[in-house]
Amino acid sequence: MSHECFRLRAPLIGLLLLVSLPAFAHKESDAYLTLRTDPANAHALHGQWDIALRDLDFAIGIDSNHDGAITWGEVQAHRAAIENYALARLTIKGDGLTCEAQPTTQKIDEHTDGAYDVIFFDSICGKEIPSKLTVVYRLFEDVDPYHRGIITIHNRGITAGAVLGPENPGTSLDIRKADRWGQFTSFVVDGIWHIWTGIDHLLFILSLLLPAVLIRRRIDKGNDNGPGSNGSGHWNGAQTQIAGFSGGGAIAAFRPNARYEWVAVSNWWPAFIDVVKIVSAFTLSHSVTLTLAVLGIVDLPSRLVESGIAISVIVAAGNNLYPIIRQRVWLIAFAFGFVHGLGFASALSGLQLPPLAMAASLGGFNVGVEIGQETIVLLVMPIAFLLRRTVFYQKYVLRWGSVIIIAMATGWLMQRAFDVLIPGFSAILPK
Amino acid sequence: MYFRDPALSMSIMMRQEPDRFMASARDTGHVLRRCAFLLAFFWLIAAAPAMADNRAPYIPTSPDIVLEHVPSSTDPRVRHFDQLQVELRRNPGDMQRALKLADAYIDYARSTGDARYLGRALAVIEPWMQRKPVPVPVLLTHATILQSRHFFADARKELTSILTRDPGNAQAWLTVATVALVQGDYPTANDSCVHLAEVSGNFMGMLCTAQLRSIDGHAKQAYALLGFIEDPGPKAPATIKAYIEGLMADTAMHLGKSDEAEKHFKAALQWTPGDNFLLADYADFLLDQNRPRDVIALVKDYTQSDTSLLRLVMAEDALHSPRAQADIAQMQARFAAMEQRGSHVFQREQAIFELYLKHDPARSLELARENWSVQRAPQDMRIFLESALAAGKPQAAQPVLDLIQQSHLQDPRVDRLLEQASAAQSNSGATAQTAANP
Repeated sequence: MSHECFRLRAPLIGLLLLVSLPAFAHKESDAYLTLRTDPANAHALHGQWDIALRDLDFAIGIDSNHDGAITWGEVQAHRAAIENYALARLTIKGDGLTCEAQPTTQKIDEHTDGAYDVIFFDSICGKEIPSKLTVVYRLFEDVDPYHRGIITIHNRGITAGAVLGPENPGTSLDIRKADRWGQFTSFVVDGIWHIWTGIDHLLFILSLLLPAVLIRRRIDKGNDNGPGSNGSGHWNGAQTQIAGFSGGGAIAAFRPNARYEWVAVSNWWPAFIDVVKIVSAFTLSHSVTLTLAVLGIVDLPSRLVESGIAISVIVAAGNNLYPIIRQRVWLIAFAFGFVHGLGFASALSGLQLPPLAMAASLGGFNVGVEIGQETIVLLVMPIAFLLRRTVFYQKYVLRWGSVIIIAMATGWLMQRAFDVLIPGFSAILPK
Repeated sequence: MYFRDPALSMSIMMRQEPDRFMASARDTGHVLRRCAFLLAFFWLIAAAPAMADNRAPYIPTSPDIVLEHVPSSTDPRVRHFDQLQVELRRNPGDMQRALKLADAYIDYARSTGDARYLGRALAVIEPWMQRKPVPVPVLLTHATILQSRHFFADARKELTSILTRDPGNAQAWLTVATVALVQGDYPTANDSCVHLAEVSGNFMGMLCTAQLRSIDGHAKQAYALLGFIEDPGPKAPATIKAYIEGLMADTAMHLGKSDEAEKHFKAALQWTPGDNFLLADYADFLLDQNRPRDVIALVKDYTQSDTSLLRLVMAEDALHSPRAQADIAQMQARFAAMEQRGSHVFQREQAIFELYLKHDPARSLELARENWSVQRAPQDMRIFLESALAAGKPQAAQPVLDLIQQSHLQDPRVDRLLEQASAAQSNSGATAQTAANP
């Protein structure tokens, strides 16, 4: 039956299309994330993440030939893309510190609403044995706000679960009682590694320690030394006379062009005292700022801190070439130790623990940094002491070594302070 | 508005063996019933993850194995929103394009039943949802998404605010009418239909009114009204024609005219083959007609859809098919997966499943009661009455009786249930009186 007056008018055509009827035939998008703690490795978590192929296809495109059928071959071809996409949207934290997720295997599983890509991965919480696990889930939040991550955490026979989505992206779970001794020793190891792998901290200490086996001595030869005549001869290891200290000092004090040379210490005692002073001063100051920063009392932008560390290396090595501070090198160590402490703290930024566990971890990390530092001292100083009289040590190791260190640190400074990428420097940039 | 929304018509089984349900419910007694309820509950909570664990991830044996089907670019609807996506990416700040894409997603979600596209639609309009105030067309699309996800109260709040800002918004009036009908709020639905007629003319007004008349005791009038607009002209899209045919089918069912109903269902499916809601609605009709074989033929290719699978399982169960058990387990797993994400959109379907396939009237009644707080369409009335009767608690369905008294709904299938309910109530009343006066 057809009555003209009841015909649908064109502007209204769209109207009805939007009257959705009140039920849907499929559930909305879910992904299933399972995390298991590892009884054999307290730092590791084993993850399994099932994500619907339909969702992955919508987000990043799996059906390469757009024929509407996703084959295993297509899924395999997109393995890296899937893993990068998904794992970038999942953060697993142990006690507030991010654990690194490494994909291991790719499989397929069937769920009630279709086939899912299964990402197997290991999440390594390197800094500590986490007592509290936090999962922050952001998969698909920009393409489907109704997506939910269904999280199950298995920990020593106990299972916990949560449903995460854009409005509620994070969940935390206490996975073990804080084992303070375990925490302490775990952080000791972290501290040691942090020093050993942090080349900028190493170079700073080395720059300060290298001259400890030498004494900076003024060459009192009267007034004939022009600025350009500082020959390499002055760097020789000759045992110059002790005399000349008496009268010359007063004159030199008024002469900007006074000349100095390195002289090897006669025995190990003064060198040892020097080293102890430098190391203790460094320890004292960096412990203070490390603690303040980890507790969140001090918070400086990392760009500033990292640039400060680069400057400290330049200053320490520069002082070997053009000494400004001759006797009290430990002052440099003390002053810049504050900056280095802030740098150490970056490894622990975000650490969240109850007070006692925090004390154990922080103490452990500090002790670790100390051990790492002392090991370097014990390794380098005996050799330096033996070589101290040689031209090789005084000229090449100290002088040219310092020049190279300055060059490297200047590169870091440029990169860190001005954000310019200098080719080659990223490779030796400590991270 | 017509509720093509998958309702289950299980009265066929009630008619076949009404005594079985009633008797078993009465005989098992309180303790046993509670045990059954608890068992079902634990099965849902505990067994579903266990079933999930049995399924192990695997590595397919060949790269050519097809794992999943996704919308293909041969589908014109897919090409349409692919095109809109590209346009929007080029003009990311273009609200009109974003709305077009969101509406295309919603439309696709509606016709296929794939709820994932509702979230995708929301993501598209998200940037404009952050604006203050939210632009009216964006809010309207948002309200449509909320309504589709059964957040009726929130949807109505948004629609009310749209209509204060833009009283001439026909789409908003139509959506308010739709939501109000689902909620059983007939005065508001009527009011909205009047407003709609004022702002958009006869066609929409008549359609809106026919939706209401179909379920408030004036099905005959509704059917006549729909007859006037059955042919909306050659320019009308197929979806509208299918919509009107589907509504006529429902109205014919309320009038007890099965032959007309079937004719309209077939016409509707010709306009939109495979439409998820039509399939469910038609399948329910066929189940009511005791034609399970026709149900299987109708939905067997659409079992990815939960509503279609449920109808298939119902038909298989009626035929004592050997496939029934496996498909019941599959259906159970799907409900468990929804439960796991905290989704309660399918309580009506779950109530039907628990009553007729798991034979657990107590659990079914529980779900039907929860469902009633969200939606009150004729299908919701039916399952609430059916589960209450089966559970031996006809008085539990009193809210349904109250609403029908107000709305004067006429429907042979509901009427039969009402008779049973009042018989059961007067029976128990008689028993109580006998007990009181020995």
